[in-house]
Amino acid sequence: MMQFTENPPPPPLYPTRPRPDFPNSAKSLGSFNNAACMEQLLVHCAHAIEANDATLAQQLLWVLHNIAPPDGDSNQRLTSAFLRALLLRASRSGSSISAPATPHHPQLPLRLSAISLAGFIDLTPWHRFGFSAANSAIADAADGFPVLHLVDLTTTHCMQIPTLIDVLASRPEGPPFLRLTLPSTPASTSPPPTLDISLDELGSRLVNFARSRNVGMDFRVVPSTPADGFHSLLEYLGANCNNAGEALVINCHMMPHRIPDESAGGILSPRTVFAKSLRSLDPSLVVLVDEEADFTSSDVVTRLRAAFNYMWIPFDAVETFLPAGSEQRRKYEAAVCWKIENVIAQEGVQRVERLEPKGRWGQRMRAAGFAGIGFGEEAAMEVKSMLDEHSAGWGMKRDDDDLVLTWKGHDVAFATAWVPSSATS
Amino acid sequence: MPVEFEGSSVMTMSNSASGEASVSSGHLPAAASLLPPPKKKRNLPGMPDPDAEVIALSPKTLMATNRFVCEICNKGFQRDQNLQLHRRGHNLPWKLRQRTGKEVKKRVYVCPEPSCVHHDPSRALGDLTGIKKHFCRKHGEKKWKCDKCLKKYAVQSDWKAHAKTCGTREYRCDCGTLFSRRDSFITHRAFCDALAEESARTQTNAVAVAAEKESKLEVTAPANLQEKQMAPPPPPSDQKEPENAAGILQYLPQPPLAPVSMCSNSSCTTTSCGSSSLFASTVATQRTSFSDLIGSMGRPEVEPPSLCLSSNGPSSLFPPAPDRRQFPALQPSAHMSATALLQKAAQMGAAASGSSFLRGFGLAASSSPLAAGGGGEAQWPEPASMSAGLGLGLPYDSGCAAAGLPDMMMGSASLFGSKPAATLDFLGLGPSGGANAGGLSAFINSIGGGGLEAYSSGRSSSPVKTWDGGGGDVKANGRAIL
Repeated sequence: MMQFTENPPPPPLYPTRPRPDFPNSAKSLGSFNNAACMEQLLVHCAHAIEANDATLAQQLLWVLHNIAPPDGDSNQRLTSAFLRALLLRASRSGSSISAPATPHHPQLPLRLSAISLAGFIDLTPWHRFGFSAANSAIADAADGFPVLHLVDLTTTHCMQIPTLIDVLASRPEGPPFLRLTLPSTPASTSPPPTLDISLDELGSRLVNFARSRNVGMDFRVVPSTPADGFHSLLEYLGANCNNAGEALVINCHMMPHRIPDESAGGILSPRTVFAKSLRSLDPSLVVLVDEEADFTSSDVVTRLRAAFNYMWIPFDAVETFLPAGSEQRRKYEAAVCWKIENVIAQEGVQRVERLEPKGRWGQRMRAAGFAGIGFGEEAAMEVKSMLDEHSAGWGMKRDDDDLVLTWKGHDVAFATAWVPSSATS
Repeated sequence: MPVEFEGSSVMTMSNSASGEASVSSGHLPAAASLLPPPKKKRNLPGMPDPDAEVIALSPKTLMATNRFVCEICNKGFQRDQNLQLHRRGHNLPWKLRQRTGKEVKKRVYVCPEPSCVHHDPSRALGDLTGIKKHFCRKHGEKKWKCDKCLKKYAVQSDWKAHAKTCGTREYRCDCGTLFSRRDSFITHRAFCDALAEESARTQTNAVAVAAEKESKLEVTAPANLQEKQMAPPPPPSDQKEPENAAGILQYLPQPPLAPVSMCSNSSCTTTSCGSSSLFASTVATQRTSFSDLIGSMGRPEVEPPSLCLSSNGPSSLFPPAPDRRQFPALQPSAHMSATALLQKAAQMGAAASGSSFLRGFGLAASSSPLAAGGGGEAQWPEPASMSAGLGLGLPYDSGCAAAGLPDMMMGSASLFGSKPAATLDFLGLGPSGGANAGGLSAFINSIGGGGLEAYSSGRSSSPVKTWDGGGGDVKANGRAIL
């Protein structure tokens, strides 16, 4: 079997196209097996499931099952993940559709130790991109302040903080005191991977590490959840954050998309409220890093198309950093599959993977009274040199003054930086 | 070592220009320093012996591996001596150079590359190997490539030397994991058990600093006193180290009972001997948050620094040298002073706090000077004293747990050191901040306030010291290896 991803072409040759064009990957399977075809089949299948057309859906599922083994090439694994998500959706909706005997992906308990999570994050720029860009901006924002109060709204369990501490520790006039505040979301609603240690312990390790770097630090946890736009956390911050010598920085890393948007119902979306509440805190800086896709449609087929044309990236990229069949790769892909299932099979508050593109986030932030400040040359250099450590497929581009992580020319994630705009204050 | 060369390919001249040499080296100090120093420093680069013969070899001759060729069989030799020995086998006339010392004139070698500073006789190098390596390194093709890191070398021996250390040069965590990238190392390091264990040790060491520091607040004085009593016994040996590192974690499940029993021992206001009931009964209104707190206290897998949620630099004053451990085992004799300290601390806490509510709690929590100080204005007067409070292991040596815990009880010490403080702070906050955000955050918040003060005072008095792996060069090696 030929896998197109095994011989990645040299970096500058990646064409930027509106959608990824997947080459044929399994000759034996003929014309069925290309990405466009698979997407079509998945779309048909989704339609059939929505229409409760069991016969058609079953046929399509069977075909998909045959052309997309879960251990195939990246393209096939992608399709297989969507297939399972559709099956899950069908079973949720009480449909009578029975699945072809799928060798079900073992649901790995995605509970990791902190150091294995650190190892995971280290494999790809997926998160490191945001870490790197944000750390630069945060250090700039803390410049001249004796205290940096960082509110870390992240899905990565503070994996960014050690490198931030390291950056702060090297500040010429001495590091600021780092006050770190986190939301503690109910464990049941936390998407994978989760940590096998408590937040307290995570905090004590961070504090311990900060001490070793001569950085004063405290760590506090406020029970809060993205489901209501971190209402209780922001309320707490509003009551406790008006210290003069304190730079308040809100670091939103891959977390804001878990705040329900308008499509989740309600008059005022928690996402809008969140942005406005952030503004009312009058922070020194808000860093917003998230994945560049649009999963907000209430129509599952639209979401399926959007997700299919985004989620191929982690499957494609993984070939460059994890060997096929490795345990780490299974965990990595299981986390990706979890996202796909969430986008496709879940609805309402259960559907937390509500990605929104950079442009829309920008509108929200500006409407709430923020102005984008972009990233400086130094931040861009940091990101670039970080990317040099990874596969040549990764790239960075500037969009306005924001930074965008790319894989083979396709947008993956964006990093934006915001300050309260004077006009609306 | 006499170096042989083929007479015909050698151009000899006399180097009488010693003045020249010094002038030119003055002109080009930077260039000279760029040169890898020859292994033997008999002749510094560019300052040859004025009486030496200056020898200029062509690049080809210089680089030829077997320059000395037998005219009978064409066999090549690296050294003339070897060729001469070989010629003997052909019954040809042969001649070995005699090492008379007088006869052999000192020779220096110039680089064949005309643009090179060492092309000038006044900057000649002292030995043939040196000039050969110089020529390869500076003007030759780097054909030796490291498989691991893709670095290239022109000289094979350089490549070999690099290959030996490649991979070890990078960041190594104490747990044995290697990292080629600084970021990776840092993130790993922060969460690795190795750091937790190491800092538990350095915290003990920090107590020693507390002894040396002049403390402004009375609260810390007893700590210093007591600490001095304990300090003299030198570390018995290093052999306990590994046991100790592992032992920290093992001891942890036991501690939670210690402070409580100690509290009652020291005749505080406490009436119960279970920490949860103690707290719960004292503050009924905060029951929920306290139960959270207690719950986290009761966890069996509490880490050494556990709820010590605020910190600052003192421990990093100490290089994490394991053999500097000061208090491997607390002496029984410390018991008395600890009790005295407790009483003193209790008084301090009572005196400092205005409200009887706090006072009562201050007494209850008087198991550490930290907690007692918490009732006053400056909670953590300075980092050293905080560490003293945390690191001394007051609950340990004064408590009944002493007998059962033979070795350094860092874990429990810091655990208890911070817990009562946290509770105290929490109480202080209770009236105003209890409504929002839950108890945990509130008390952490209050700790933070103290921690800040501690931090800033600590920074002014303690030199910045980074941990072993990174050294001071924070940005030096962001991406060590591709």
